[in-house]
Amino acid sequence: MSGNRLRFLVVSSLAALTLVVAACGGNDNSSSTSSKTAAAAPAGGTPDTTAGKKGGKLTMLASSDVDYLDPGHTYYTAGEQVDGAMGRTLYTIGPKDPTKTIPDLADGEPQISADKKTVTVKLKTGVKFSPPVNRAVTSKDIKYAFERFFSVNVGGQYASYFPVEGAPKSPTKGVKPISGITTPDDQTIVFKLQDAVAVSFAAALVMPITTPVPEEYAKPFDAKNPSTYNTHVVASGPYMVKNDAKGNLVGYKAGKSIDLVRNPNWDPKTDDRPAYLDEIFIQTNASDANVSAKQVIAGQNMILDTNPPANVLKDLVTNIKDQYTQVPSGGFRWFPINTTIKPFDNINVRKAILAGFDRNAARLARGGKFTGDLPTHFLPPEFPGFAEAGGFDGPGFDFLSKKNESGDPALAASYMKKAGYPSGKYTGNEEFLMVTANADPGKAQAEVAAAQFEKLGFKMKLRLVPQDSTYTEWCQVPAKKVAVCGAAGWFKDFIDPQSMLEPTFAGYTIAKDGGNNNLPQLNDPKVDAAMKSAALLEGAARNKAWGEIDKMITADAPAIPFVWDKTTLVRSKNVVGVANPYLALWDFTYSSIK
Amino acid sequence: MAAYIVRRLLWTVLLLLVITAITFLIFYVLPSGDPAKLRAGRAPSADTLAAIRNQLGLDKPLYQQYGEYVWNIVRHFDFGNSYTNNQEVRTLVFSRLPNTIFLVLGAATIWFISGVIIGTVSAVARGSFWDRLLMGGALVAISAPVYWMGLVSLYLFSDDIGKFKILPGSGAYQTAHGLIDKGHALIMPWLVLAAAFAAIYARLLRSNLLETLSEDYIRTARAKGLSERRVVLRHGLRSAITPIVTVLGLDIGILMGGAILTETVFNIDGVGRLSFDAIQRGDLATIQGTTIVLAAGVAIMSLVVDILYAFLDPRVRY
Repeated sequence: MSGNRLRFLVVSSLAALTLVVAACGGNDNSSSTSSKTAAAAPAGGTPDTTAGKKGGKLTMLASSDVDYLDPGHTYYTAGEQVDGAMGRTLYTIGPKDPTKTIPDLADGEPQISADKKTVTVKLKTGVKFSPPVNRAVTSKDIKYAFERFFSVNVGGQYASYFPVEGAPKSPTKGVKPISGITTPDDQTIVFKLQDAVAVSFAAALVMPITTPVPEEYAKPFDAKNPSTYNTHVVASGPYMVKNDAKGNLVGYKAGKSIDLVRNPNWDPKTDDRPAYLDEIFIQTNASDANVSAKQVIAGQNMILDTNPPANVLKDLVTNIKDQYTQVPSGGFRWFPINTTIKPFDNINVRKAILAGFDRNAARLARGGKFTGDLPTHFLPPEFPGFAEAGGFDGPGFDFLSKKNESGDPALAASYMKKAGYPSGKYTGNEEFLMVTANADPGKAQAEVAAAQFEKLGFKMKLRLVPQDSTYTEWCQVPAKKVAVCGAAGWFKDFIDPQSMLEPTFAGYTIAKDGGNNNLPQLNDPKVDAAMKSAALLEGAARNKAWGEIDKMITADAPAIPFVWDKTTLVRSKNVVGVANPYLALWDFTYSSIK
Repeated sequence: MAAYIVRRLLWTVLLLLVITAITFLIFYVLPSGDPAKLRAGRAPSADTLAAIRNQLGLDKPLYQQYGEYVWNIVRHFDFGNSYTNNQEVRTLVFSRLPNTIFLVLGAATIWFISGVIIGTVSAVARGSFWDRLLMGGALVAISAPVYWMGLVSLYLFSDDIGKFKILPGSGAYQTAHGLIDKGHALIMPWLVLAAAFAAIYARLLRSNLLETLSEDYIRTARAKGLSERRVVLRHGLRSAITPIVTVLGLDIGILMGGAILTETVFNIDGVGRLSFDAIQRGDLATIQGTTIVLAAGVAIMSLVVDILYAFLDPRVRY
């Protein structure tokens, strides 16, 4: 989940101009023959997923294409949204409870060994691949999916989540076997891990890497560099991209459209998802967000891929009122403060910065209060550990509380005095480097942040760089001595608090040579030790421990969190839209037409 | 003439070679971000980055990368694969080029004909009410940004979100089947794209025609007793239109690289939209492919214009 990760890019670029409402949409009167009233998911509520009407074609207007359809390669939410309808991962996260992982292809919970180094998963029977493969899915198909992920031809993008014994350290030429994955029978797969990380490993089994891939079919495609399986993907879920007899995806036109139709081999008895729709057509080049949003609102059978522009949303909120759904994006936006640079290595200086920082103004630069809540710590709402860390009220630190959302100059001055600056302001003459993207909203929010630092006497040098290099060439490279990263965000890949806090704040994850995700370079041995212990826990104890770690991190004041993002999804009046809380996007397999 | 065309074609090839070298230098030697890092995903190791660089051929010496790039274009017309979705750039570009050509040629026909008519009427009726009205209208059309005009047109006239549901709107082209349906879907984009160009051409032609009509040979023609219509259309317009044709050729060539704003607002999957997406994603291979197509469009249209001169202006011979 690095800052440069594509999921973040999608959310950040499209949330930029968004106004989001705090309460929403309620019920829609159904015109179908169903006896129940189908409802779009209201903010924070539980959607009715059983009341849809079968049939119909849904069109989604999307501002950009998927990155890849290949489940071994995609790392974009747009790609995962389509793959989620086509493929079946071992586990998934349903629309009813965003904090819980539930079995999909798996038949029950993962079995974790006492030493936390082995995970065993049983598979359902009766799940079949779509044409032209037409055979039952077995555990060997999952094993092959993992093995090909590590091939350079396929290009899996999050290998560090899956430290299986025998997994290659670097991408392999061709698909190589992994000794730590075994398949005792067709319905069982066993993962032996390098370390005692089984709990977070099990949580990560919702990711597309666990989508089965039939080796005998995919092997010739994977032998090419790059693999051409991307245009020959077979489905195991309710939908498939329209294909021909040889498996060529004729329904996928890169940068133009994707046509999903029913998978004739899908058996609803093996799947909790209702899959009401007959067809989903995705226009992947609906580039003008204003026009697209208005087309969806005025039209029939349409949804918008993600946040509408601010002006359209205002109209939705004030006039239309019942054609949108709001869902937490599952992450935080923050200004990391480099704790290795003087005087930011002084905790009281950092606390002073947080105390005096007008977080409201920074949020306003992203679109205002409707883009999300102001954080009081790091773990986001509707996420394990959030309540344990203090919920919306936070852990109770005066420098990051609901009372100083717009900054408290007196409190900031008091912390500066504690730090050894009697005037209550910084008196040094050096310039501090702040790096941000050269386009809004990154630029606008960084300008606000720079002004906040300057209020305390810091001289900031704001450097604007292209979006694609903000992380990879600057913020993630410790040698560049970036004092404050002006356009950072961190969003979930799966439901586990460890994945939110460990890469971003554990001292042992600091990568000096680049690719560093601990942007503040926080190196607190107490936090590190607590993380090592908490990694072994499960269930409620795990959530409590990571909630406590969140408090410890917040106490260290290594960064200014300023938005817990929300995503607003728009639909036509006759669409019963159900949001997928994992991706914060519409879920094709639960949505329906009235 | 044949020798001239061959000579120009050779120069065009050389020009394209220079352009590939410049774009290669800009996009590969001075990129804003490392393509391998952009592609590598979460927390990549040094080995992972090295493997991706090897896969993309970025670990080879620059001269070798450039040589292979040019050789692949010359030999296989292969621009490589997109860095972001692995698709062949050639396929991406050429599947969109017909849409851009259809959009541009339709709009060019409209703006050229209307520009010539308006410019001629305005010049002939210089200082009249019609002259002032047409030139005032032209000024408005030139001043209105294409994107703004596109949005206003959609909100007024499109059959889905428009106030007056008259014409197919955004996205209609993509779902249309057959030439007639596609042409119907393009009426609004054609008009929007043509508006500003027509206005510029009209003002340019008016100015040229007024100058031409004051020439001695025009006075001679009138003295010979030729009708005013013949004087203006046969003698005046033929001479005044030559610079317009030059500009037309270059404009069409430039737009072959994509009418980005029109394609974006009307959701037409053309080369411009492809280029825009590629820039947003840092997809160097696709950016370079579309840039070369744009350069080729300008070079070829420039050649076509020069050949047309011979037919338009009797004084020009090659």
